[in-house]
Amino acid sequence: MEYILKNGIVYDPANEVNGEKMDICFKDGKIVEDVSADAEVLDVTDKIVMPAGVDPHAHVAGPKLVVGRLYRPEDERRGVAQKTKVTRAEAGFSIPSCPTTGYRYSRMGYGTVCEAAMPPLEAKHTHEEINTIPNIDINPLPLFGNNWFVMEYARENRIDDLAAFIAAMLRVSKGYGVKIVNPCGSEAWGWGMNVHGYDDKAPYFDVTSREVVRALAKANEQLGLPHSIHIHPNDLGHPGNVPTTIATLDSIKDIAKSTKASAGVRDQTIHCTHAQFHSYTGNSWKDAASGAEEVADFINKNPYVTCDVGQVTFDETTTMTADAPMEYDLFKISGLKWANKDIECETAAGIIPCIYSPKTPVSTLQWAIGLELFLHIENPWQVCLTTDHPNAGPFIRYPKIISWLMSAEKRMSMIDNGEVHKWASKRTGLAGLEREYDFYEIATISRAAPARIHGFQDRGALTPGYNADIAVYDINPNDFDPSKDPEGVEKAFSNAYYTIKDGQIVVKDGDIVSTKQSHTIWTNVIGYEEEEKQIIDSIMPFFTQYYSVKWENYQVHDHYVPNPTRVDVEAK
Amino acid sequence: MTYEPPVTDYDHIVENCTCAFCGCNCDDLDFLVKDGHVVAVRHACRLGASKVMEDMDQRLLVPMVRNEEGVLEEVDWDTALDTAAKYIAESVRPVFYGWSETSTECMKEGVELGEYIGAVLDNQATICHGPSLQAMQNAGYPIQTLGEVKNRADVIAYSGSNAMNSHPRHLARYAAFPRGYFRQRGRFDRTVITMDPKFSDTAKMSDKWIGFEQNGDYGFYNALRAVLKGKKLQSESVSGIPAEDIYELAAEMEAAEFGVLFFGLGLTHTLGKQRNIDIAIKLVQDLNTNSKWGLTPMRGHFNVNGFNIFMAYETGWAFGVDFCRGYGRYMMGETNTIDLLVRKEPDCFMVIAADPGAHFPNGANQHLANIPVIQIDIHWGPSTELADVVLPGSFISVECGGTSYRMDGVPIWMKKAIDKPETCRDDEWIVRELKERVMKLREEPNVADEYVPNEGLACLLDK
Amino acid sequence: MKTITFDQKKTSSIALEFDELITDNIYSWTEEDFAAYKVPVGNSRFPITDYFDITVEGEAESPAEVKMILNGDCNRVKYIGCKMSAGEVVVNGDADLHVGAEMSGGVVTVFGNVAAHAGREMKGGKLEIMGNTKEFCGASYIGEWRGMSGGEIIIHGNAGKQCGECLVGGKIHVLGDCDILAGIHMTKGTIEIDGNVNRWPGGQMKNGNIVIHGKVGRLLEGFVEQGIVTDPELDGIVYPGRYIEYKGDIALNGKGTLIIDAEKNRDRLSTWIEEDDEYNAIREYRAQ
Ligand code: SF4
Ligand SMILES: [Zn+2]
Repeated sequence: MEYILKNGIVYDPANEVNGEKMDICFKDGKIVEDVSADAEVLDVTDKIVMPAGVDPHAHVAGPKLVVGRLYRPEDERRGVAQKTKVTRAEAGFSIPSCPTTGYRYSRMGYGTVCEAAMPPLEAKHTHEEINTIPNIDINPLPLFGNNWFVMEYARENRIDDLAAFIAAMLRVSKGYGVKIVNPCGSEAWGWGMNVHGYDDKAPYFDVTSREVVRALAKANEQLGLPHSIHIHPNDLGHPGNVPTTIATLDSIKDIAKSTKASAGVRDQTIHCTHAQFHSYTGNSWKDAASGAEEVADFINKNPYVTCDVGQVTFDETTTMTADAPMEYDLFKISGLKWANKDIECETAAGIIPCIYSPKTPVSTLQWAIGLELFLHIENPWQVCLTTDHPNAGPFIRYPKIISWLMSAEKRMSMIDNGEVHKWASKRTGLAGLEREYDFYEIATISRAAPARIHGFQDRGALTPGYNADIAVYDINPNDFDPSKDPEGVEKAFSNAYYTIKDGQIVVKDGDIVSTKQSHTIWTNVIGYEEEEKQIIDSIMPFFTQYYSVKWENYQVHDHYVPNPTRVDVEAK
Repeated sequence: MTYEPPVTDYDHIVENCTCAFCGCNCDDLDFLVKDGHVVAVRHACRLGASKVMEDMDQRLLVPMVRNEEGVLEEVDWDTALDTAAKYIAESVRPVFYGWSETSTECMKEGVELGEYIGAVLDNQATICHGPSLQAMQNAGYPIQTLGEVKNRADVIAYSGSNAMNSHPRHLARYAAFPRGYFRQRGRFDRTVITMDPKFSDTAKMSDKWIGFEQNGDYGFYNALRAVLKGKKLQSESVSGIPAEDIYELAAEMEAAEFGVLFFGLGLTHTLGKQRNIDIAIKLVQDLNTNSKWGLTPMRGHFNVNGFNIFMAYETGWAFGVDFCRGYGRYMMGETNTIDLLVRKEPDCFMVIAADPGAHFPNGANQHLANIPVIQIDIHWGPSTELADVVLPGSFISVECGGTSYRMDGVPIWMKKAIDKPETCRDDEWIVRELKERVMKLREEPNVADEYVPNEGLACLLDK
Repeated sequence: MKTITFDQKKTSSIALEFDELITDNIYSWTEEDFAAYKVPVGNSRFPITDYFDITVEGEAESPAEVKMILNGDCNRVKYIGCKMSAGEVVVNGDADLHVGAEMSGGVVTVFGNVAAHAGREMKGGKLEIMGNTKEFCGASYIGEWRGMSGGEIIIHGNAGKQCGECLVGGKIHVLGDCDILAGIHMTKGTIEIDGNVNRWPGGQMKNGNIVIHGKVGRLLEGFVEQGIVTDPELDGIVYPGRYIEYKGDIALNGKGTLIIDAEKNRDRLSTWIEEDDEYNAIREYRAQ
């Protein structure tokens, strides 16, 4: 089937197309230079055309989502919608059911989402959920930062073994890249403890976060994986965590980016996720303030770093992270129901309901810090739009965040008329920031940059040969002032005029008109077969003794990945 | 127990099979196969082994439909499926119950059929660990995988659960006995506490038995929590336990490096029901202030947790989900099988891999006798006596592969070891066939003309 | 003022769902509108006129001007008055689940018994039940920690288990007996019970008041006796008589108040010495 999107105003930052009126053609699911005269014409005259959105970090599928859904029926009730001829019944607000997740991303014009935390032991579960989410492709990142084998290799600085282990684990769990969460801290949580700072040791393992992160970064670059290490640093959410954050990012300065073709798309060697939660100064919440400028400054000076923000959106949401000790601390403050899930030899996760209210000082501080990061980081290719869904807010609020970024007036009015707590002006510099994003920058932080950071070579741009993943929004940028009409921005970005996924029209005028099976994107390392076999043989006695499943059952069989997009990496 | 000599007469061994019996989902079994039958099972406990080496006398082999005289009559597959599909298509309040002994792959077909026709989908949780789930929904859910227990736990408490009988390998494979990374001496490195009114077999294996009185659970846990908060008890004994024993127990629990509370139906089915679990969860949360504690419900069937997990990601709720209005609803006392049956609402009942005939209260079964019942199962059982259509399925983990979830949520691929009897079909196939036939018979009810987002989505707190 | 009368013609074994038939929606409806309306029953919809004869009298400009009368045995009619904001509903007979649930205003009166979840998450208005009600009266939705937040529920008969669970405001008055765990997890508001209470009132309550005029079966350890109080005043209301006062639930450092009739529960005081002044005082008080 051939199509031509006619007369749209195109924003395609990867190809440096900034608001040009042009046609986009696609055929059989791919973008093409030209189509024949028989092509179906989709008239999008004077509407915004962008590559479909790419979410670089969200939690949409897997065991902790299910724990959240199991124990928050009241959240599910908040998002109920009746089935239609095309869609199934919807449910859930901050932790929507899988079909709902797919529909809502689609309505916003998104095409790809990174599931940012997959425990390898329960990877089959994550994949079962991915298969249930329609319309968006998902690349899951397995967790490595508290894995017992990883900690051992890091302590002994066995980078070759670690590289082989990563290659094997990506294959075994059908994962995409290396995720690190609160390195050594989640292991300490096995004993109800945490690590503090970057140079603290995990109990019994005699290894520091610094050693683990550096080892993983080296192994990642040795393999030349498409994505860099993806880190959630230590001390999340603690006032005074800026030094830890900067120490973490600074510590891998000397590690050179891989020269392999597979790593050629990205510029960074470390991606710091939800930087907002890691940019607090002070000693306690009493004197906490924004450290956004310092963190942004560091990122501005160091192009090997990228980040996403984790913007707070003022909602009642659910926080869930592999940073389990932090969740327990939060539970102690809020007293709301606490869930936790420790996973043998690998990781832990904590979950609690969380209310971010504009009336409370801490939530407002976090909200302002997030916006400050967006506005202070100069190069939009180094910062991405996320809410760390559902941690700082549900992903359906992305359009609202876009409207805040595009309108200084809106931000100022929220501060001035007391819509938000006065800490926003007292403890952060948000009120002094006048920068406003334009559509080109929005397209960068919500699709082009995340795609480049994840090293995708088939999406995030409207390049011929790429997947025909396209979003059209009903705004005429030549005749619309986003600074003056934040509601208009929010509405348009919430309800895509078209969402096209692999050449199939899935959304028309904000409504789902068709659904399609999503792809699971995983990384296949080629050239380490021998080393992989050796490393698996070497861990087998340990595995058999200390895991509670058989190795045969640990692996994710092809049965669970019925629709894969395999990314081959020539690692040697 | 008499000594049984090991079986030596077999054709081949299939290794790493999974036991399809209790929530331990032991995945280290070896099936010894001869002439296409499993003749012996290595590593399994007696319960598991006898389940796997099925009794062919009891096996349902051919589809049957109850005829006008009220006798089950053998028919071909088409007739049986058409009859069943007709019952479902014509129903106003269908309930699809069971699912805990089949695979998530089969549930997938089931949820599609249920959403299409507007059925209630429910599983055995409704009669067993439903109160546990409701308590988690009220209080929280701090759990850990069984490997964590094996590697770290130094205090293990069983409350209202006689694991030795209901989950025979639980203590041996995961909890009390195995050598763990931080518990190299196995059982010697751990303290086992049993809290149960009965001096059960598990209590006999334990270092400590707290025999609080029947129905005294809530009061007992409340006292324990008060002690942990540093309060003095006012009575000399609570729920039949002397105050000093409670102080001692509290101190012991707090001193644990890593403690785990396993609870069973004893806790969920006494007075107070979900509130007993509720307060046990709160107790575990309190204990985490100075120690590390988790809990795990001792789920019965091998995939009862799987259905809850599956439903949660497919529909948003864990069990008892009602689709009659075209969207999901979950409400205690309204959308659960037992309540519906006692209220005499359902007019069609499909039971898949479960035995309500044996487990439901009498009032519920009485109603089942009056309405069409469709049974998908592998064995004869009391439910067969109630059934109007019988569709013989196949045995997951032996005759057919599928996914299940262990009591701690670890997914297990249960592989196929032998072929199924020729006349049987896979559960997944049967439900898919039913779905397709129902779709031909009745137009989808309760479909919205257009998508209407929930008002809850719009609400920002600042409004 | 508009009166809409539903006279039952036929009962149904499968519950009818009345969530669309609330004053907020039907205040402008005519008899023709009702004749055309199909009520949800299971996965289908059937004409409401199969089940009820409906007469409409008078005019209404707003929901507040509507009085809805249901005559008949409505114990298979769910969601009566659920989410309504104004107006009046009278049920001359029993009612099924969710009567007056999530209502924010108006009055619902049931002259019969009521199934579970009556007045669940009520925000305002008044719900009066002349008969008994089952469990979770005035409670929260499962998993939700904010239950009934305003309004008033009056039950002339007995209430089931976990009445007023997670109460965060408003008042529940049970004139009969109450089953276990009344006011569990409550944080605010008042529950008054004229009859006896089976066991464990106020389990894990954080705050709020529970007043019991009858006898209490068993109390939790988490409630600490504060002594005897006379004519106590709670949230501005005086409860005449003498009561034993407890604070709790200390198992979670709760600060709730539980007062129970001293006279009917004097066995609780029997561990005190016979000569105790306060105990004598009760005897005197009783003798009067
Ligand atoms: S403990 Fe349970 S799962 Fe394991 S072999 Fe016995 S019955 Fe099977
Ligand atoms: Zn995250």
